[in-house]
Formats: sequence, structure tokens, C-alpha cells
Amino acid sequence: MPVITVREALRQALHELMQDERVFIIGEDIGHYGSTYGVTAGFLEQYGAERIRDAPIAEAGIVGLAIGAALVGMRPIAEIMSVNFSLLAFDQLINHAAKIYSMFGGQMHVPMVLRTTNGWTQLSATHSQSFDVMFAHVPGLKVVAPATPYDMKGLLRASVADPDPVIFIEHTLMYTVKGEVPDEPYEVPIGRSALVREGRHATVVTYSRMVHLSLQAAEVLSREGIEVEIVDLRTLRPLDMSLAIESFKRTGRGVVVTEDWQSFGTSAEIAARLYEYGFDYLDAPITRVNFREVPMPYSKNLELKTVITVDRIANAIRDALK
Amino acid sequence: MGSDDGPPALSAAEALSAYTVMVQARAVDDRLWQLSRQGRAHFVITSAGHEATQVGMALAIRAGHDYVVPYYRDMALVLALGQTPRDLLLHAMGRAADPASGGRQMYGHFSSRARRIVSGSSSVGSHLVHAVGLAFALRIGGERDTAVVTSFGEGATAEGAWHEALTIAGIQRLPVVFVCESNQYAISMPHHAEVPVADVALKAAGYGMPGEVVDGNDLRAVALAMRRAMARARADGGPTLLECKTYRLRPHSNADDDRRYRAAAEVDAWRARDPIGRFGEVLVREYGVAPAVLAQIAGQARAEVDQATLDADAAPAPHPATIADHVFGTVAGAAPRSEDQRHA
Ligand SMILES: Cc1ncc(C[n+]2csc(CCOP(=O)(O)OP(=O)(O)O)c2C)c(N)n1
Ligand SMILES: [Mg+2]
Repeated sequence: MPVITVREALRQALHELMQDERVFIIGEDIGHYGSTYGVTAGFLEQYGAERIRDAPIAEAGIVGLAIGAALVGMRPIAEIMSVNFSLLAFDQLINHAAKIYSMFGGQMHVPMVLRTTNGWTQLSATHSQSFDVMFAHVPGLKVVAPATPYDMKGLLRASVADPDPVIFIEHTLMYTVKGEVPDEPYEVPIGRSALVREGRHATVVTYSRMVHLSLQAAEVLSREGIEVEIVDLRTLRPLDMSLAIESFKRTGRGVVVTEDWQSFGTSAEIAARLYEYGFDYLDAPITRVNFREVPMPYSKNLELKTVITVDRIANAIRDALK
Repeated sequence: MGSDDGPPALSAAEALSAYTVMVQARAVDDRLWQLSRQGRAHFVITSAGHEATQVGMALAIRAGHDYVVPYYRDMALVLALGQTPRDLLLHAMGRAADPASGGRQMYGHFSSRARRIVSGSSSVGSHLVHAVGLAFALRIGGERDTAVVTSFGEGATAEGAWHEALTIAGIQRLPVVFVCESNQYAISMPHHAEVPVADVALKAAGYGMPGEVVDGNDLRAVALAMRRAMARARADGGPTLLECKTYRLRPHSNADDDRRYRAAAEVDAWRARDPIGRFGEVLVREYGVAPAVLAQIAGQARAEVDQATLDADAAPAPHPATIADHVFGTVAGAAPRSEDQRHA
């Protein structure tokens, strides 16, 4: 199977999706510029300005337009270059996209996808945040955050095919991550987690970029004789905890790793479900690894103290085993 | 009036000091890009090409008296308001002594309480509403001769917050001067793809305020238009929208490659209209300044930036123990009650 990057996998999926006349892409700097992270490079030239729409700096407008077009049968893919600026479109996403199907009594639905990015690297307070939890909090929004090139391609296809609005979360530090991806079209179903490493001592539940860091921590611990099992959630809503709970019942020890603030964050929901459904199997308190709870600092030394490292994950696993 | 061909609108002292700041700003800009190539400043953004607009604005602002709510492009403006090259390099290198944020915020988010420069976040156009709030409070608080200046790019005028700010300022006749640094691109996107009309100034009519197009590469034209607008604001005559047409001479930021969307010939044509060279000629022609004086100013600016770089380089990074400083204020006698102080 060909080995390609996350960026290439997304491009493959988008090229395949563009074969459907109902699909168009809209966002800032996505045309000639090929988008901030290069995902749509060459698309304008290939598909034309009608379907590869450069938008002015108007995030509410971009998402609102996508909603309107979706209502009449198009399959819009809106791009907001950084999830930090999706905040300007939250009314559209939460008061509109998430509720139209329900508010219209099922008469109209909103099959749009919002592609956006989490990520950081000395971009500081308002360019380094994650709002996964804010999207996933809302019934009516599906939230997908894949970790591998294979899942990126398959889940993007599934997201566009889905009848509901889907927030598709990429990561600025993952575009060059490589993995096997078949050339032919395929879908990875939304709402299915995956077991990415087997082990017997502890269960790590995570998703997106933290899958890779957790795998590295697992390798470190393996040398100490500790074997951890890792579950990649892949989708936050609908949340499939079945593999995580099954694993937790075997290990009795859970570690949740999510790249966001801990208080009221995604890790709180995940840990709560482990407690709810795995209480009888609990051998130790569940530990969590998250961002330090400060606005992301610019200065490199402080930033490295704020973000999650392989060491911090390994230590949290050791703590869970005490 | 007051264009390059008109009568001198600035005193010789004003003209020379404005020129000095423009040159200093360019020297800082050159250094920032060098530091970014060397990996010593992670993120930099340019003000090169915007110097006449920004220093021209400052000529109408009483530093430390009027409020200024700038955007990331405004390095020459904050220099003109009294920040130093050292301040800016400390900011760009994320040092503890960075006067804007103590190393917390990325370069281009300027602030100084003493100079009444108010920092914004990174979401474009969202800071204008704060300028409106400042003006509102000043009027209620009776600081009647104080005006507020806020600046932004033409791309920002597509945002909802931009519209809301001008709407409120227009209805309430608030003392705000809105300055568009109209440089024809929003990252890669040309003016016509961001703004449905040829001039941002035309939008003013919809908010009940005067709008004016200014040659943003002509220091005196900007200074004069700004002085008129500030006088109107101070006299309770309401807000103004100025559009200073200019061009940035470098990529948007060090993460951008402007060759992907701008023809070299276009950039060269604007280089020929570099606002600094242009005002230097005015100084020689109309103010009788000797070319040797201009060379001396340039030499001094470089020396100052060299020294500022050494200082910033030697300055310590923020101390790790301060990591949670300034997330919340402190309330006397009300320590947070939590079993877990990690998140206090
Ligand atoms: C709300 C929001 N959307 C997108 C961005 C990304 N962004 C940063 S600067 C910029 C272009 C702004 O162009 P303009 O307003 O013309 O100012 P210029 O940079 O040209 O001075 C964009 C799109 C952002 N910072 N905030
Ligand atoms: Mg611009």
C-alpha cells in the first residue's frame, strides 16, 4: 500500500469528493494560494473558481453560506484555517447548523463539513487553542478528529457523505505524518473508535495527534516492562467508548490524554464514562494529561511547559500504575 | 493640500523626527526578518511599506493622551508613540521584559498602558469594538479632548465586528478615527476578492461618517487627514473612516511566500514608491536637509537596532515560576478554595 502524508491523504479524499458535482470548497486563501497548509494547492486550476471559492475574511459568512447551500442539496466543504477563528462562526454552527434538522421537523438537513485545524508552535494565546469540547458538547454536530492518513481520508469521505453537519478537525503538527493509504476510494465510518496498540497494564484513551505521542510513550514504557493498550477515539460525537471500556475492564487502569485544558474538557467526559461504565473494574484513579491551564504562552520555554510531551504521558501512565 | 507637491505642512523638526522614526522602523523590520531566518524570532510580521501611514497617523496623536488600538502591522506606529527598538525586539524574542506581554503574546500584539496602546487578540477586525468602548467611556468620563484611533487592514472590513463597531460609533457619534491601512492584499487575497467596492472609504456613508481616501505613502497627506479627523473627534463631531492606500513591501509574515500571489513587477513598482525614500526627497528638496544628514540618521538607526538586538538577546526568558501569572487577577481576602490549585 502506498505510504503518504496526512496532507496527501486529505488531498486524495478531496479530489475524489470533487467528482461529485454537489461538492464545493470555500474558505480564506484556498484558491491560488492553495490554503494555509497547502491542502488545496492546484484545486482552483483543476476545478475552477466556481467550486473552489476564495472567501473574504468573514467566518460567519463562510459557514452561513455553507449552511444555505447545504439546505438545497449541495455538499459544501467550508475551511477555516485555524479553529481559533471558528469562534466567529459559532452562532452559525451552534444556533443554526446543529439545529436546523430538528427545528425544521426533519424536513431539511445540513450536510456540510467544516474543515479546521487545532495546533500550536509559538503562535501564542489566540492561535493555539482547541475547542473540540465546545463542538462536541452540542447535540446535532458530529465531531471527527482523526490521527492517521488512512483515517483522514476515510473519515473525510464519510463526513461529506453524512447527512449532518460535521466538524472535521485537523492538526497543524500532523500534516507531514505518514501512513499507508489505499489509492482507491473508501470510507471510515463516523463514530467508531480503534484499538491502535495492545497491552495489559493500562488503557490509554486518546485521539488526534495525542495518539502518536501516546504510542511513543508506550514504547518508552515497554522497555520498563509496562505494556499499555491505546484506544484512538477518532470521533468525539457520536462517541464510541466500547473499545475503551472493554480494555479498561481488562486493565483496571485508565489514562486519558487530550490536547486541551483539563477543566470541563474532553478528558473529563471520557474519564466520566470510564468511571460510569467501568466502576467495578477500577484499580486506581484515572489520570489525565492535558494542556496546562493558561493561555498558550509565546515564549518557547513556557510553551513547552504548557503542552503535552511524551514524558508527561509516560509519567501519567506510571502514576496510574501506582 | 499637503501632498508631496503642496506647501510644507509639518515643521522642520516634526518632519525630521518623523523621518527618523520611519527609518528606525525599517531597520527594526530588517532585523526582525533576519532574526526569523536565523531561528531567533519564531514569528514576525512586517510593517515595511506602511511607515508613512503609521508615522503620519502618530503625528496627529498625543502619545499617552489619546488612545490607540492598533493591529499587528503597526510597528512604526508604536515606535512613533514612544516604544523603542529594544521594546520591540524583546517582544519578538519573547523575553520576560517584553513590555507588551512579558513574553506571552506573539509579535505584533503591541501594548503599553503608559502610552495608551491597547493590545488586541489575533482575530482580525475584532479590536475595533474596543476602540468604540474606550471612546464611549471617555465621553461619559468627561475626557472630552481625548480621541481614539484604531487601525486595520482592508481585509478586516469584511468581518462582522468591523461592521458592528462602525455602526455603534456612527449612531453614538463617538470620537473614534478608524484608519484602514489599505495595502491591497489580505495575505494572498487581492482587494477585489475582499471588498466589493473600489475604496473602503466608500463604506463610511453607510455608517453616517465621513470617509476619505488618502495616499498612504505620503506622510504629510496622512498627517493632515488625520489631524482633521482627530480635530473632528475632539470637537464632538463624530467618527471618521480614513483609507490610507499603501502596499506592504514584504510577505505578510515569515510564514508567507508572497511570490505565490504577487508579480515581481508589481512589488518593484511599489518599491520605487517606497515612502521612506519619498519623504527623504521631500526633506532634501523642501526642507533643505543635507543628504549626509539622512545617511547619518540611517547609520544611527542601524547602530541602535544592533544594540537593541544585543540587549534583547541577553535578556532572560520568562521564569517558569511565573507561568500562571496574569491569568486571573487577585481579590484581596478571597483566596480560591480548591483542593487542587493546578487550575486556580
Ligand atoms: C478572524 C480571523 N480570520 C482569519 C485570520 C487570519 N489572518 C490573519 S491576517 C489576515 C489578513 C488580513 O488582511 P488585512 O485585513 O487586509 O490586513 P493586512 O494583513 O493586509 O495588513 C488573515 C486572513 C485572523 N487572524 N483572524
Ligand atoms: Mg491588507
